[in-house]
Amino acid sequence: MIMDTEALLRSLTGDLRPVRRLAPPVRRAMGWFAASLAFALYVAHVVGLRHDLPVLFTDGRFIIEFAAMLLTGLMAAAAAFCAGCPGRPLWERFAPLPFAGLWIASVVFGCWQDLMRSGAAGLAVTPDPICLPTILALSTIPGAAILVMIRRGAPLAPLSTTALAALAALALGAAAMRLTHDGDANVMVLVWQVGSVAVLICAAMLFGRRLLHWPERHA
Amino acid sequence: MRSAQSGDARAYSLLLAELLPMLRRVVGHKWKNANTVEDIVQEILLSVHAVRHTYDSSRPFMPWLMTIANRRIADAARYHAGRAAHETTVDVMPETFSGDQPKSTQDLNETHDLLRQALSILPESQREAIELMKLKELTLAETAKVTGKSIASLKVSVHRAIKAMRAHLERK
Repeated sequence: MIMDTEALLRSLTGDLRPVRRLAPPVRRAMGWFAASLAFALYVAHVVGLRHDLPVLFTDGRFIIEFAAMLLTGLMAAAAAFCAGCPGRPLWERFAPLPFAGLWIASVVFGCWQDLMRSGAAGLAVTPDPICLPTILALSTIPGAAILVMIRRGAPLAPLSTTALAALAALALGAAAMRLTHDGDANVMVLVWQVGSVAVLICAAMLFGRRLLHWPERHA
Repeated sequence: MRSAQSGDARAYSLLLAELLPMLRRVVGHKWKNANTVEDIVQEILLSVHAVRHTYDSSRPFMPWLMTIANRRIADAARYHAGRAAHETTVDVMPETFSGDQPKSTQDLNETHDLLRQALSILPESQREAIELMKLKELTLAETAKVTGKSIASLKVSVHRAIKAMRAHLERK
């Protein structure tokens, strides 16, 4: 015991200052998403949109995949902000999973379509090392922004909060990449884009406890 | 808590004073040691203070508080489990080791005699090198200046002298 509890209470209440209340998680998520989406679209525009984009947006499967990526990003951000608010229900942390599942399912369905159309050649995987750094680059600014925002919350679940924040930024980065990166082989998207997102989420989780922790006790 | 968020120290003081016995009871259910209970209660109070801006006044207060309390109790359990895994309990900590008993005056005299004998068997040049460098603690350069010998020759002399003295002492 470092100090008497009554003395601790006196020190906590002695220099009490007003605090800025945290905005509701959904509002924070909407704000982050709007700013990050604007950034991602701007970067995609600067890098150069792919030429077959109008055709792609007539494909129902692609529209579902793209919408699922954006919704995964939005819901993951909301879930990360909810995880930092004590007393909120646990199920909120799983909110992005249906959308992430829809994203993966739409890509897997695309793989099946490629297999039906081109046979085994439609499932050929070739190296595409540009995916991981591109997604990382597109996600860096939204990732840094959401990191600053989740650090304002309570560090109740550092690993899952970091994973959700990383998923939010990376899903948005992957969506922006779909607008710029040529090549429609869905198996390549599954392996290199979805795979890169999964690897980067795991990497982010390694730093979870360092990024989100309770304040050190000095007194 | 809403008043505390606005900076009302009196309301905050009343709230924490009301929470204190309840937190002690909650932590006391899981920990028996009074000092540990008080430590964890203090951690909870500090955590509540650190994240008081996360309280949403449109939601109930108790789930907010108990989430923080349970998290800090779990953190304390993990911390204590980790510490216990790396600690060994002993009844009495030995103050000195048995091999480190100080030598008696008689032992010291015997050691001195043996060293003196070992020194006496050395040739003059080697004995001089040992006396200057090991007993008077001169540097190689200083010894070289005193004796007029080269540093390399002094190194050889000291090496041979120590080897001869060790052999002599082992025979004894």
